[in-house]
Amino acid sequence: MRKDEVPSYIVDLALKRGATDVVVKLQDKQHIMIRFSNNKVTVSKYYDESVIDIFLMIKEKRAATTVPLSSTLKLEKTVNNLLKIAKITPPSELYVPLPEGPFSYDPTLLKASRVSLHPDRLIGYVDEAINSALEEGAKKTAGTLNATKEKLILATSGNVHASQESSGLEISIRAFTSEVSSGHFVSISGNEERFNPSEAGRTAGRIAAAALNPKSGKPGRFTALLGPLVFADLISQVGRVSSAFLVDTGQSFLANKIGSQIACDKLSLIDDPTIVDSYGRRAFDDEGVPTRRNIIIEKGILKSYLHNSATAKKYGVETTGNAGLISPHPWNLIVEPGEKSFGELLAEIDYGIYVTNDWYLRYQNYNTGDFSTIPRDGMFLIKNGMLSSSIRELRISDNMLHILKNIQEISKTRTWIRWWEVDVPTLTPYVVVKDLNFTKSTM
Amino acid sequence: MEELTEFALDYAESLGAEYAEARFQRDIQETIILKNGLLEAVLLEEHRGISVRILVNGSLGFASTNNLTKKDVKDASNRAYKMACAVKKGLREKVSMDESELGTGKIEVKPQIDFNSIDVESKANLLRESYKEAEEAAANNKIEISGCVMTLDTWKTEKLIMTSDGANVHSLTPRVALSTLLTAFHPQKGSIQRSFDLGGTGGWEIIKKWNLPELFKQEAQTLSEILLFAKEKISGKTDVILGPELVGLICHESSGHPSEADRILGREAAQAGETYLDSDSIGLRVGSPLVNVIDDPTLDGSFGFYMYDDEGVKARKRILIKEGIINEFLHNRETASVFKTKSNGSSRAVAFDREPIVRMANTYLEPGDYSKDELFEEIKDGVYIKSFMEWNIDDRRFNQRYVGLEAYKIENGELTERVRNPVLEVTTTGLWSSVDAVGKELEFQAAYCGKGDPMQGIPVWTGGPHVRLRSVILGE
Repeated sequence: MRKDEVPSYIVDLALKRGATDVVVKLQDKQHIMIRFSNNKVTVSKYYDESVIDIFLMIKEKRAATTVPLSSTLKLEKTVNNLLKIAKITPPSELYVPLPEGPFSYDPTLLKASRVSLHPDRLIGYVDEAINSALEEGAKKTAGTLNATKEKLILATSGNVHASQESSGLEISIRAFTSEVSSGHFVSISGNEERFNPSEAGRTAGRIAAAALNPKSGKPGRFTALLGPLVFADLISQVGRVSSAFLVDTGQSFLANKIGSQIACDKLSLIDDPTIVDSYGRRAFDDEGVPTRRNIIIEKGILKSYLHNSATAKKYGVETTGNAGLISPHPWNLIVEPGEKSFGELLAEIDYGIYVTNDWYLRYQNYNTGDFSTIPRDGMFLIKNGMLSSSIRELRISDNMLHILKNIQEISKTRTWIRWWEVDVPTLTPYVVVKDLNFTKSTM
Repeated sequence: MEELTEFALDYAESLGAEYAEARFQRDIQETIILKNGLLEAVLLEEHRGISVRILVNGSLGFASTNNLTKKDVKDASNRAYKMACAVKKGLREKVSMDESELGTGKIEVKPQIDFNSIDVESKANLLRESYKEAEEAAANNKIEISGCVMTLDTWKTEKLIMTSDGANVHSLTPRVALSTLLTAFHPQKGSIQRSFDLGGTGGWEIIKKWNLPELFKQEAQTLSEILLFAKEKISGKTDVILGPELVGLICHESSGHPSEADRILGREAAQAGETYLDSDSIGLRVGSPLVNVIDDPTLDGSFGFYMYDDEGVKARKRILIKEGIINEFLHNRETASVFKTKSNGSSRAVAFDREPIVRMANTYLEPGDYSKDELFEEIKDGVYIKSFMEWNIDDRRFNQRYVGLEAYKIENGELTERVRNPVLEVTTTGLWSSVDAVGKELEFQAAYCGKGDPMQGIPVWTGGPHVRLRSVILGE
């Protein structure tokens, strides 16, 4: 049997043996990762995997499995075992049949752009990024380059037979000018032509050079200019917790806020996997439903949660094409641009703090949005519209909803961000937030 | 699988590698998710495959495949080799492996009760019963459990590790874990949340010992009381007693991570970060003489248990901080070679398709000689922080913040009223230097430690006894 016939074969088999609904997803993935530190490559890695996800229901009873692609006989045993488990499983909250196709998909989303996995080419990208950072004054760099190619084949009992190819390149580079002064930036693209490792290296190097000789920062509430890495971390949290599953389980500060003004009216957040060649492009979700452009926040008003068919039924709405079979999730987040340049945003701040990166975001309460996160890499005091000095050792300790409401300005320039701290590709501007609370160690 | 793993190793060596390593790993896992008291799904997963690491002229290549044919394994070795060779000389970090003594043999952890002998329905019912206990305890206080996710994981890990310099270790390890996020709500008081993990190495007998229904009842009761009775937070200078849950986390975050030699070498600089320590920090005082921080993979039944690491080096207890002084770093064979020492068996990989990197196992503060009562009775005016929700630490592992969840005022040696969200935001040396007494009763918690790229969330225990800190400044 050909590999691309396996999902439909399993769907038919499970239906014959008693399942009422079946989803089978086969992912065939090649992934190269090159890691570097101290301006040298420390390890090159190649991953080659074929994985099958099977999700089946016998009405309201359901079970799922992830297994390696293997022989027909072994897959048959897997299906039998899964059916056995489903039969003795206590029923879940409600039975929602899978969406019924066939569906038509945008053909431009189904084919991938060409991305080379040739080692020499990828090593060349790493070299470019490192040299660009060093040219800006960095002493050492560290980071990761990822190159991926993936074929996804989906079959469901709802008459879905679909496949999509995707590819991507991403580099994350951190540059240091001393032990305590650094800069970080990324380049990600679903298209090799738009991949720009040199620019990522240059930006990281420039921030690191400006961050030299940092002084200890003072805590308090300040107007803050947040760079794309920081705002991507914050706004991707908003995207993540717009999942109806997380809303239902007390893991979202967006619960009970549909239709409410939750952010400044300049902020609009969209999940849009239908952009050709974007990193998070996706033609169909894990139930086979065509993806679409979903407005999560429009001019500060929370418009929609993200749904699969089960959460949609519970909420009395249509699926948004964001399945996850258990938990819906965003694919490709976009913050609508503002009208001002970075320079104009900076010029308008009399006294404040510019934060270029953060990490380690943790909540005190997911429901209320109380959290803290730690600025890392270049952080600068702003005086009279200009960067005045490099500072360090502060923490952002605030509330998500408070920050969203206190957004003052959004830049017109935006960057696609994805790295270790930000899972979902996010097109992110600079933003200005008033009264952002910074704390620091007391001893 | 032995034959295929051996084939992978032989083929990798035949390519001309100065070092080669082949690892077969199979993880078979069952996950039961309960959402707000109702079963959400049962998930069965099998992740298995072979990885090879090859060292060619000091350049390290790694490749993995889950297609278990000789052709695919050969292809993986060729790819690892080609990737290693593609790095031109000036861009190449010269990697080597130390001369550690390597293990051979089979290590099998045998559960008393195989978790596969318990059917899914019984497991789901145990979770439902526990949820109901929580719901009832909260309702008795007129509190609603407004959200609850419980995830019960049971899995078996099989590893077969072979290296070109003689390691040949086969291990079988069963693990169990429960992760929970519990939300309590009161219309006037708002909401409060508690997240916790339980975990161990072994079988169903561990889950029985947890007594989940009673545990959930207690957790819901505590959350209810915090919501109803906790007063505003206390800030400013005071004495503080930290419970084992916090002490364990602090040991892990501010002592374990900075001691990882790959961080010291900058290997994680763009991801999990660096460390405030450097290669010359052995002998540096970072805390009071009462502070002894240990990492020990060999603790029986522990979540981070292993007897040989993923490079075939025998595991042993590591004393990271001895009497307040940095004593030892965590090493794999690569970092040990750079530091001209021997690996202390800290190399771990979470799955077949992840490279082994320097990791903690079970990190804890060694107990002292104070009883819990003695610790409290010498405090006239202070705060006891028993559990936490929010925490984080900077990437040099020096500035950290822990926000208390269950916390109390101490007056004249007695716990009085509950206090809300005390904030301990301090430096690593500031915190460890303020320790003036250490309790004698050791407790552990489970956690998944995140590090590496791709991310590897690896099972660990964190632990310690109660600890007393003098003249600490609590934040706003």
